[in-house]
Amino acid sequence: MTFTKSILTGLVISSLVASASALAIDTKRADEQAAATLRIASDGEVDPGAVGGRGLAIFSKKLVLCEWQGRDVINNGVIMIRDGKIEAVGKRGELLPPPDYALMDVGDQWVTPGLVEMHCHVAGRFGLNDMVYLANPGIRASADVFAGNSQLDLAVAGGVTTVLYIPGSGTNVGGQGVLVRTGFDTYEASVIKNPGSLKLAQAGNPERWLTRPNRSFMNWNTRLTFKKGVAYAQEWEAYERDGGVMPRKDPQWEVFRNLRKRDIHISTHTQIYQVVLMTITLVHDELGLPFFIDHGTFDSYRVAEEAEKRGIFACLGPRNIDVPSASFRGFAGSNPERIQGVAAGYQERGFTRIGFNTDSPVIPQEELQLQASMAVRYGFDESKMGTLRGLTIVPAMAGGIGDQVGSLEVGKFADILITSGDITDPRHTVELALQQGQVIYDAVNQKRRW
Amino acid sequence: MLKNKKLIMGLGALWSLSLMLAPSWSYAAPLIDDDKESTDSEEEKEEEEEETWVYLAGGDVYTGTGAFLRGAGILCHDDKIEAIGFDIVVPEDAEVLNIEGYSVYPGLIALSSRGLFGGNGDLEYSVDPFSDNMLLAVAGGITVAVQGTEIGRLNRGRIEDVVVGKQQFTSLSYSLSNPGGRKTLREKFDAAETYLRAYRTWEGAVRSNKELKEPKKTGVDSHALAVLRGTEKGVFRADIQQDLLAIARLAQRYGFRPVIQGCREGWLVAAELGRAGATAIVEARDRRNKSENLVRPGGSSIENAAILHRHGVQVAVAPGSGGISMDGIVGRDIMHMPVEAAFAVRGGLAEDVAIASMTVVPARLLGLEHRLGTIEVGKDADLIITDGDILHYKTFVQWSVIGGRVVYDKEAELYLAHIRPRPVEELAPEVPVVPGERDEEIIEAPKEETETPVENPEEAPVEEPAPVDDGGEGPPPAPEEPPVVPPVDPPVDPPQEGSGDG
Repeated sequence: MTFTKSILTGLVISSLVASASALAIDTKRADEQAAATLRIASDGEVDPGAVGGRGLAIFSKKLVLCEWQGRDVINNGVIMIRDGKIEAVGKRGELLPPPDYALMDVGDQWVTPGLVEMHCHVAGRFGLNDMVYLANPGIRASADVFAGNSQLDLAVAGGVTTVLYIPGSGTNVGGQGVLVRTGFDTYEASVIKNPGSLKLAQAGNPERWLTRPNRSFMNWNTRLTFKKGVAYAQEWEAYERDGGVMPRKDPQWEVFRNLRKRDIHISTHTQIYQVVLMTITLVHDELGLPFFIDHGTFDSYRVAEEAEKRGIFACLGPRNIDVPSASFRGFAGSNPERIQGVAAGYQERGFTRIGFNTDSPVIPQEELQLQASMAVRYGFDESKMGTLRGLTIVPAMAGGIGDQVGSLEVGKFADILITSGDITDPRHTVELALQQGQVIYDAVNQKRRW
Repeated sequence: MLKNKKLIMGLGALWSLSLMLAPSWSYAAPLIDDDKESTDSEEEKEEEEEETWVYLAGGDVYTGTGAFLRGAGILCHDDKIEAIGFDIVVPEDAEVLNIEGYSVYPGLIALSSRGLFGGNGDLEYSVDPFSDNMLLAVAGGITVAVQGTEIGRLNRGRIEDVVVGKQQFTSLSYSLSNPGGRKTLREKFDAAETYLRAYRTWEGAVRSNKELKEPKKTGVDSHALAVLRGTEKGVFRADIQQDLLAIARLAQRYGFRPVIQGCREGWLVAAELGRAGATAIVEARDRRNKSENLVRPGGSSIENAAILHRHGVQVAVAPGSGGISMDGIVGRDIMHMPVEAAFAVRGGLAEDVAIASMTVVPARLLGLEHRLGTIEVGKDADLIITDGDILHYKTFVQWSVIGGRVVYDKEAELYLAHIRPRPVEELAPEVPVVPGERDEEIIEAPKEETETPVENPEEAPVEEPAPVDDGGEGPPPAPEEPPVVPPVDPPVDPPQEGSGDG
């Protein structure tokens, strides 16, 4: 069933009533194609809700808020967007949009925050794994960003609107990541934060470097590097506080000033519980730098309680299960006999900050949602909406941008998806994606990309 | 067919062998002739192999034929489905599995697989029926899989009846990138076509003129001939639209129904493929940009499966990997075939078609649709019992019945038992409902299994005599017998009430 109503000049807005049963998807889509109505603004026009445009109010039977330790959803709600930001969220009927606002009623379709990925290698041309030095905090992934590339096009269609583009894990400190939006065509429009993170790879890859270093050397080298960086940052902090002779500026160490201000976080390739424990004790306890567990797979869930005590975030993936080392795998792990869901392992130990990642292209970027659904398959309890939070607010907070994206909260960027239902289920689709209020994907009027 | 088979089985090995060798007109004679010998051989047979009966009680049966039977029973006799429905008489010695609240689907069929049988090469002699891979494939809902060119059944724990058949596929290539190869293939089909025409002419003419010679096959490619005769399926590995279009036209020109593996850009030429009667084996998540030389639309599309199906192309969905992946990354191997199908649903494929793409379509491709792919009486008893919608990411196979035997129980295996264990049975223990006279005798029955009803035997029986017929499990002769049986001795053999309760 599809009905339309036109509102004001130039803008026609559809109400696409999602079929109650996914069985009807086939026919539903044909109808939608025929009655395709919401269109992307052509050059010169500004979408309602986008920067410089009119306001936009979206009515939906389900607003998925994904507030951190807050509300899950508003049923029968309205969300108001203006100048690329979320202006208000509330119950339909209680919250009234001003008269000049464009109105969009999406019926049974859900409104979900755009998904956030903290481990992406596809936002550029993959020139991000320079392995000349074992530790190289000065290298920047931002130089390699290729905004609007075809993989990001698909990512948008899969609902991913924010990614942390990071160097690979061929060395211990691969360089600085960059936080970018996926829906725009230029670097300038895309960048959210540069540097967006510092990439640290504790173990389980850098061993392949030139001299085949082992864990003890790598840890020594990492500690040394970080201590130099911290000393550099402290020198600047002292100068900024007390004045005196201005220290020399060194791009190799600048990133530590951001880290010390907790403006960005260290994204840490760390897995296997002994290694994760090393990360916790070295980076958090000893150096006091903000970091999140990236990967955290194999049997890392064994140290979940230690991580939880310290309020550390984890973005798990791309591996989703820890298999019995006895029969299937010889190289890592201490899991005797069962197929253990990684996320479930953390959850069972009371860990609350569980996010998901793809390590794209290991898992294609558009399949980020599958990482959450597979976590559920292997034991993760989704009853408290841990899946949708793990795809949105948790990774956003892990990466230090929880105040800008990741939930439908007032003041955040209007990165919003209109979906046919719970996006965790691979059968549900993104019908419309907005980034900062601007339409970046419209499955009804454009070709459905994913 | 079924009747025939039973007849032959009844006669026993010796007779059936001689019958099969003898021409059909000699059937009647030995049947009437010798009663004695046939019963002898029957006994012999019973010693060799006992009948197995498995009864799945109360499941929601997704038959795959359009019918969805809520709370129905399925009775399996040996490796076949004997009955489906609501009032089935179940033999006393049947193994009964109570699956109320669970769903039953036809077993999934993997059109290509690696390592599921635990060995390489000849299935019959290399199968390892205890291998972890077989266990995990069964846990993923697979019951039949193709390895190499052999079709095998995941008969866990047994080395018998593994081989179901041979895949009658002929690999063909008809690609723009190899014009010479195209010409050769056309020539093969031309020769085969000419031969077939000559053969048919001869076939008609030879009835009147017995002296006519059969046309010679020299120079005729046997596979091209088999494809045109329909005894083998021509399988193409093709992805780009020009190749797909050429295959569709080739197939229409020579009159065969092509099978296309890959079929990435099929959504662009779906109408032609539909007209050619093609079957496509697609990966729903196939993901490739179009050629940069192409001006028109191209590349993969999530809607591929849906568009192909809409145009009459049969679609089988296959995951990217035919093996079991235990490196920790999930959702892309043969164990997660329904996930792949779910992505086809994402692209617009109807859910029943998505299920068919893993069951009846592969069965048809293998020429085994009379045995596999749907839940029907007379078909092979390859069934999976799930805790929900097979296409949902959370759904697990709880039991598998393969070849008529329960070969998998999630709770009983190491690997997945801890994940959302089945809720413990919450029903009160069954109180036998019997006519008043037989109270004592019957009440003894559950003693072996549960103590509760025995504690106060006077209260247990229900006053009103009720029919004992609950699904055929109770002792059928009970109502007639009471006056005859003296209630003196406690029965040594209690009625077989609880025999199937496990």
